[in-house]
Amino acid sequence: MTSLAVDVVGVSKRFGNHSAVDQLSFAVPTGVIYGVLGPNGAGKSTTLRMMNDIIAPDTGTIQLLGRFKPGREAAARVGFLPEERGLYPKMRVSEMIAFMGELRGLTGRDAKARAGAWLERLGLSQWHRNKVADLSKGMQQKVQFAAALIHEPELVILDEPWSGLDPINADVLREIVHEQRDRGATVLFSTHLMEQAEKICEHVCIIARGRKVLDGRLADVKRAAAAEGRIALDFATVDDRGRAEPVVTDPALVRGPVRADATVAPTAIELDLADGVEAQRLLVALVGAGVGLRRFEQVTPSLHDIFVERVGRAAAEVAERREEVA
Amino acid sequence: MTARAGLPDWLVIARREFLERIRTPWFAIVTLLGPVLMLATILVPALLGRAVDNSAHVQIVDHTVGERVGPVLAAQLAQAKWKVEVVAPDLDEGELLARIRRDAIDGFVVVPADALAPGGAAVAYQGANAANDLAMRTLYQAVAQTILGLRAADAGIPADKLATVLAPVGFAPRHTTGEAGGASGMAALVVGYAAMFILYIAIILYAVNVLRSVVQEKTNRVVEIMVAAAKPNALMLGKILGVGAVGLIQIVIWVLMALLTMRFRGEILGGFGVAAGAWNVPALRAVDVAVVLVYFILGYFFYAAIYAAIGAMVSSEQEAQQAQTPVAMLLVIPVLCVQLVAGHPRGGAAQGLTMVPFSSPVLMPMRWLLGGATVGELLTSIAILVVSTLIVARLAARIYRVGILMYGKRPSVRELWRWLRY
Repeated sequence: MTSLAVDVVGVSKRFGNHSAVDQLSFAVPTGVIYGVLGPNGAGKSTTLRMMNDIIAPDTGTIQLLGRFKPGREAAARVGFLPEERGLYPKMRVSEMIAFMGELRGLTGRDAKARAGAWLERLGLSQWHRNKVADLSKGMQQKVQFAAALIHEPELVILDEPWSGLDPINADVLREIVHEQRDRGATVLFSTHLMEQAEKICEHVCIIARGRKVLDGRLADVKRAAAAEGRIALDFATVDDRGRAEPVVTDPALVRGPVRADATVAPTAIELDLADGVEAQRLLVALVGAGVGLRRFEQVTPSLHDIFVERVGRAAAEVAERREEVA
Repeated sequence: MTARAGLPDWLVIARREFLERIRTPWFAIVTLLGPVLMLATILVPALLGRAVDNSAHVQIVDHTVGERVGPVLAAQLAQAKWKVEVVAPDLDEGELLARIRRDAIDGFVVVPADALAPGGAAVAYQGANAANDLAMRTLYQAVAQTILGLRAADAGIPADKLATVLAPVGFAPRHTTGEAGGASGMAALVVGYAAMFILYIAIILYAVNVLRSVVQEKTNRVVEIMVAAAKPNALMLGKILGVGAVGLIQIVIWVLMALLTMRFRGEILGGFGVAAGAWNVPALRAVDVAVVLVYFILGYFFYAAIYAAIGAMVSSEQEAQQAQTPVAMLLVIPVLCVQLVAGHPRGGAAQGLTMVPFSSPVLMPMRWLLGGATVGELLTSIAILVVSTLIVARLAARIYRVGILMYGKRPSVRELWRWLRY
């Protein structure tokens, strides 16, 4: 027994000539909320599908809950919400949820009772005898959560759970995720929405083009990114901004271009320190050049910034544009 | 936390499929429609047969010396309520044909000069009603009676003696393959046909139902949450069993109704004021009903597995329509070959067709009911069908497993081959 809810070791999956997942390894501790982040096509869904034994990895192993291979053995203890979600339109709402519970190993009686409780919890009690097709899209989304979670799985796997959700149901889902974690379950989900992930994840793993880019506790990841040195500056006057120019463009001190938006804040800029350069050195250099400063701050980057930084701006923009369309 | 305590997946899935279908009004309608059609098949011909007037308006061209045939034939036909005129023997045939076109007459009889001589030319008839079996039988009898009567008179046989000689001869064919008290040949054939049609309709109805249900799960994406919760094998097995159970209930109702209809055929026809005629319904034994049900179950499994695989290969109902045509042909061909089995239940073609798994589910019960198959042949045919069904189901399950998660393009033959070897 280990305390890992999911242990992915050296997993690869190819589809024809396309490598969907390439030597991917990461570990999900028990009882956390874990986000698998990446742009579209990064291999997130493929990874989650392999965890649910929908497809088999070409190489590598996946262990669930410290003792199971994906599949039959694990099915009663794992809940999965796939990216493409559908329900049987002609089924009664309560029967649909109970049906999924029975497939996950509940007895008929137990499944029925729990389906009732879930409908109560989601405010859909008065609809329980209606057909699924009678429900609005938002209500159907809630039914899908219930169908995936009715058997109280120890491990909850959600593939892009926020895509297509209206803001109210997005909040409902966030509540549900917290409830699941609070009752002791491990929640693993994939998303390309950094904002959602930042609000809720304790651990993250960023993947791109099938490979792991980074993983760890969100706080550690952010701290590491901060240590890499992003500095926000606000000069006392526009003249100070001019005097600072030789310093902030010195490649010995600063890496990459200076970011600024002169129309909004003509005296404010943001920059990244060159490798191995302490923030202190930049401050000394600026003061030495006689630059007046109103603000000198080490910035903690958002998950979005980290994502863009590590995955590449182009990929991140593609991901976000897709979401606007969706 | 929960461990597995409930029913196996395939059973949960089969129950869902079963309940979803049995609850629809569609099920009740089709179940009731079967018996209604069965009643119609015996009632409509009987009622039509009573209502339709087979009499006709004909003209006779008599080329015999002294024109002796025309008047006698005209009198014979008049007894059958036909309207008849004897026309001049030199009347142009073109004019007679024109009269048919104008609808002035239905047809005309041409009596050749040597009609009365033994081995003389045939009495010819041309008419719009020449395809009407009953009308032609009436006409033939009239012609035969006339010619024979005149020949008898020429031979010096008195008319009253002739009547004795020509009195109707009874003839009653009975179908039997050795057992006593065989049924009337017609009745045995009708029962055989009924079994074939019930099987054909039920198998195709429910196998296609499996296909559509697989395609619908793909199009509304519910298949995604299903494969996450259950193995594709359980999904396919559950679906085939659930749909099949509905089919079995339906076919049992149909068979019962068919048996009742035949048993009370006379009473039913009597209720509509039609005579039932001399019918001897074959004694259906329990084993006969069992044969029909066994072949339904096996035939359904055989075809449903194929249809499930096809459903998994395609992404829309339109595509499914195209893809299923070759398989539907496999089931239609035996129906087209039905005459080979019905006519010669013990013949070579019948033996072949009732062993091949594509056609045996539809044709073997008929051959069995007609007494053309031995118990050994029956068991061999069932064994072949069971083995082929197992093989087909295995292959179908492999295609299904890969196919249900594929959207968009249809697989090529090469890709299918790869799926089979996964």
